[in-house]
Amino acid sequence: MIVVMVVAGSTVLMRFAPGYLCDAREMDSRYGDAARQELSAEAARSATLEQMLSREFGGWTHGDLGTSRQYDVPVVELILPRLAVTGRLLLRSILFAWALALSVALVSSAGRSSSLLWQSPSTLLLAVPTAAMATLCILSDLGGPTLVMTLLVAARDFKFLDRILRKAWQEPHLLQARAHGLSTARLVYAHILPSITSQLLALATLSLVTALSALVPVEVIFSVPGLGQLAWNAAMNRDLPVLLAVTMFMAVTVTLAGMASDSSDDWQRA
Amino acid sequence: MKSRITALWLLAGLVMIALATLALRTGSSYSSQDREQLLAGASAVHPAGTDELGRDRSVRVAAAFLLSMAGAILASAATTLAAGGIGTLAAFGPAVLGRFSMLMCDVFLALPWLFLLMMVRSALPLTTSPAHSAAITFLVLAALGWPACARAVYRGAQGLRNAEWMLQARAGGLRGPQIVRHVFPNLMPLLIPQFLICVPAFIIAEANLGALGLGIGEPLPSWGGMLLELDNSAMLLRTSWVYLPIALLIVVLLLLEAVATEV
Repeated sequence: MIVVMVVAGSTVLMRFAPGYLCDAREMDSRYGDAARQELSAEAARSATLEQMLSREFGGWTHGDLGTSRQYDVPVVELILPRLAVTGRLLLRSILFAWALALSVALVSSAGRSSSLLWQSPSTLLLAVPTAAMATLCILSDLGGPTLVMTLLVAARDFKFLDRILRKAWQEPHLLQARAHGLSTARLVYAHILPSITSQLLALATLSLVTALSALVPVEVIFSVPGLGQLAWNAAMNRDLPVLLAVTMFMAVTVTLAGMASDSSDDWQRA
Repeated sequence: MKSRITALWLLAGLVMIALATLALRTGSSYSSQDREQLLAGASAVHPAGTDELGRDRSVRVAAAFLLSMAGAILASAATTLAAGGIGTLAAFGPAVLGRFSMLMCDVFLALPWLFLLMMVRSALPLTTSPAHSAAITFLVLAALGWPACARAVYRGAQGLRNAEWMLQARAGGLRGPQIVRHVFPNLMPLLIPQFLICVPAFIIAEANLGALGLGIGEPLPSWGGMLLELDNSAMLLRTSWVYLPIALLIVVLLLLEAVATEV
């Protein structure tokens, strides 16, 4: 239901954007008058909302995402090769970020030092726009796209994990167990992690959303041939079918991740 | 509380400095060019140097700071008001309306901001003026920022709806506008942090969008537009004042973060 509404909402939003009917190709002097008239006629034919919606839904059910205005090839052909590149980048970044954030949060929450001290580096990282962080990485010749995305996702995740874990450590039964001398590792493994699983699952979806938000600047600045770079190219060249397809793809990914997180939570509760 | 007040004072100080910079340098607007001083370092005439078009960097940074603060604050106020209205209506209105509102929140939350922003921004007419592009950028941010806040308000308003004093007030005959008059002050502890969280989030979103060339149009100065200067290696070799916008942006965001987290 959400996916259907996302497709419909984005299509409506795009149709009523003030420049939807403008086609950059009409300003290209290489196109002759007849070609320009044909482009205008083509735009006018697909201008009504009903046609757009039926074309979008019809196409999606048949695996057809339309044709790129910029490259004049099916959008699917543009998306598929880039999917693997983006998928690898996202997976690596999220895994490294979780490993980093969870280890630091476990150390920070188990100790007695102030939360502010531990949170300062993540606050600083979150205050740097992704594009600037990526540019600074290139300028200092330090790290690549994975590092930038890992730091960003880890900074956001750490803030939540630190809060969740600090709260968990304050549970009376854990305070008592610590007083009895149970090792920190055993407490974390046997008591804390099982009790915060549902929050961790929700955080996994948030990590994905954070990583997807950073995807475009990172891929554009580091010239990674992934979906983010494709979306940016499409935005710069007003290639709206490609942009709409990539946005839909991202929305479906986030929705499915949210559903998977909810299902795992239900399964765990059961 | 102390660090929040300090952060507020520092932000006010930065606003005053930016206003003073614009007021004192009356001969130099953010778009006026000094063709004799392209990519110049700091001097008496241009305290923070000039960019590749000979525009005074201090004036442009001051204008970008004020523009982004004003835009983000207005967009944040609009999104918080919208979220407050939708959340309250969903909690106190018919159950169908509540379910529909929350479904809309899910739909918007499923869409990654930057992609939607890029989609709307790229669909603007080719002749969009810089002022319009600035207004549209912040308007779109305001239009996309409400769902998370509305969800929080909905939960808070639901709690209020089931509160004993509210049940008693409704049983006593309190109706629509009167209920809202009593509910809104109770939602303020929820709305104020949401407003303060949205301000830095919108500034970062605008900066990222601008750094991709899809933000506020030139010659209007913006954080994102000035971050693009970092791509110019020739400029980086000639003057380190290129780093001024990013340094100031980080300071502003840290101060806003301090204000938001202390509430």
